[in-house]
Amino acid sequence: MSERETAQAINDRAAEWVARMDREGHDPAVRAELKAWLAGDDRRRGAYFRAKVAWNMLDRASVLRAGQPPAYEVAAAGGGWFSRRRVILGGGAAAAAAAALVVGLPRMDFFAAPDEQIQTAIGEIRRVPLSDGSLAAVNTQTALDVTMKPKLRQIALKGGEAWFQVAKDRARPFVVEVGDVRVRAVGTAFSVRREANGVDVQVTEGVVEVWRVGDEANIRRVAAGTRAFVAPDKAVVSVAAASEEIDNALAWRTGQLVFDGDTVAEAVAEFNRYNVRKIELSDAALGQKKMIGRFRTNEPDAFAHAVEILTDSRAVITADRIILSSD
Amino acid sequence: MAWVGREILPHEADVRAWLLRTLDPDDLEDVIQETYCQIAGLKGVSHIASGRAYFFTAARSIVLMRLRRARVVSIESVTEIENTGIAMDEPTPERVVAARRELERVQRLIEELPDRCRRIFELRKVDGLSQREVAEQLGVTEFVIGNEVAKGMKLILQSIADGDRKTARAMARMGYDERARNSTSDQ
Repeated sequence: MSERETAQAINDRAAEWVARMDREGHDPAVRAELKAWLAGDDRRRGAYFRAKVAWNMLDRASVLRAGQPPAYEVAAAGGGWFSRRRVILGGGAAAAAAAALVVGLPRMDFFAAPDEQIQTAIGEIRRVPLSDGSLAAVNTQTALDVTMKPKLRQIALKGGEAWFQVAKDRARPFVVEVGDVRVRAVGTAFSVRREANGVDVQVTEGVVEVWRVGDEANIRRVAAGTRAFVAPDKAVVSVAAASEEIDNALAWRTGQLVFDGDTVAEAVAEFNRYNVRKIELSDAALGQKKMIGRFRTNEPDAFAHAVEILTDSRAVITADRIILSSD
Repeated sequence: MAWVGREILPHEADVRAWLLRTLDPDDLEDVIQETYCQIAGLKGVSHIASGRAYFFTAARSIVLMRLRRARVVSIESVTEIENTGIAMDEPTPERVVAARRELERVQRLIEELPDRCRRIFELRKVDGLSQREVAEQLGVTEFVIGNEVAKGMKLILQSIADGDRKTARAMARMGYDERARNSTSDQ
C-alpha cells in the first residue's frame, strides 16, 4: 500500500489539473502532459473526471450575474476560458446555436471525446487556430470535432463548411472525415462543405486526396484551382477545374458572398444559410434569373434591394422575413 | 458532463455513506474514483432513468469486482454487499427537489469558500473572467490565482464528498489557514 499513490493524493492532483487546464488547456504540450498523467490508472481518470464535472457545474453560477441572460457555452470537452470567452450568446442566438448543436451532439464518452469541438451558430463565421499550427475558417452553422493523434490529425465535419490552411507535417496527415468520405492533405489549403446531396471539396493551394471509405482503390487527387464533388450514390469522385469559382465560393471567409451568373434562387439559398431572417421567393420565374454581385453575408436586405433593381422585382422586408416577388 | 453534475454528484455523499457499511474506509476513495471512471466511459445516458440508482449500482459492481480480484474473497463479504440493498431505491420527493436545486448548491459551494478564494471563484465563474483577467483585476500573478483555484477545487470536492455540509472540517483537515495562506501566496 505504501508505494501506491494514495487516493487523496490523486484527488488533490486532479483538482490541480482542472485549475491548470482552465489556465493553459489551449497549450497542446499541457494537454499531452495531462494525457500522460491520466494514462494507465483508472483512479486518476475517475478523479479527474469527477473534478472536471464539478468545475463545469460551477458555470451554473454565471446566471447570478446581474442583468445578463444565461450564458450559453458552445465548447464542450476540454473547454477552458479560451473557448468559453469566444462564444457567449444570449436570447435568440442561443436558441439558434442550440438547434445547430443537434448536428453534432457532444459525446458523453469523456476520455474518447475529441480534443476540441467547434460549433458555429447561424451567421457566425469564426477563424480557429488549431493546436498543430493549422488554421480553420469555420462557416455558418457548422459543427466539427478536432482530434490530434500522434500519427493523424483527424477532423470530423458533422455539418456545414470549413476551410483549412494545413500546417506541413509529413508524419501526420491531416484528414477531414465527412460521413464515409475522406479528404487527406499534408500541407495545403482547401475547403470541405457537407451538403444535402453530397460533399464538395475545393482546393486553393497544393493537392489533396479524396476517397470514400472501403473504396481506397479509387483515390482521386484534387489540385489547386479544382473542385471535387462526391455524391452519396456515385462511386466516382468528379473533379472539375474552377479556380475563379473557388475564389467566389470562399469569399465567406471574409464575410462576403459573391455571385457571378448564379441564379437568384441559388443566391437566396446561400443567404439563408447565414441569417435567421429568411428570404422567400414568391415565384419560380424570378428564381431562375441570373445575377452578379458582391454582398456581406449579414445584409440580406441589401441583397434584396439589389435584386429589386437588377430584376425589376419587389422586395417586402419585415422584421422576421424578406419576400421577393415579380410585381 | 452537465448530466453528471446534475444527476450524479449530488448523490455522492449518500453513496459514500452506503459503501462505508461494508467497505474498509481505506478503500472508499479508490472505489469512488473507479466508479467515476466507469461513468466517464458511458457512451450515452438516455437509457439511464435514475442517476442515483445508476450510481449505487455502478459503485456496487466496482466493489464486487475488487472482491473477486482480491482472490481471498470470503463468501460472506460478497453476500453482504449483495444483500445491502438500501437507499438506491427511488429517492424521496425532498431528495429529488434538493438534487434539482443545482443553482442553490453551486451558490453554496462557492459561498462556503474562504474569503479570497470565494472572490476569485466569483470573478471566474459568475463574471466569466479568465484566470489571467482575475489576476489583473486583483493585482496578483496568475500563479497565485492558479493556486487559489486549485485549493478552492479541493475544498469544493471535499464538500461534495461530505454532502455539502462539512466544509469547515475539510478546511481543518487540509490545514487551510488564513494566516499561513497569506504569508505564502502574497508575493
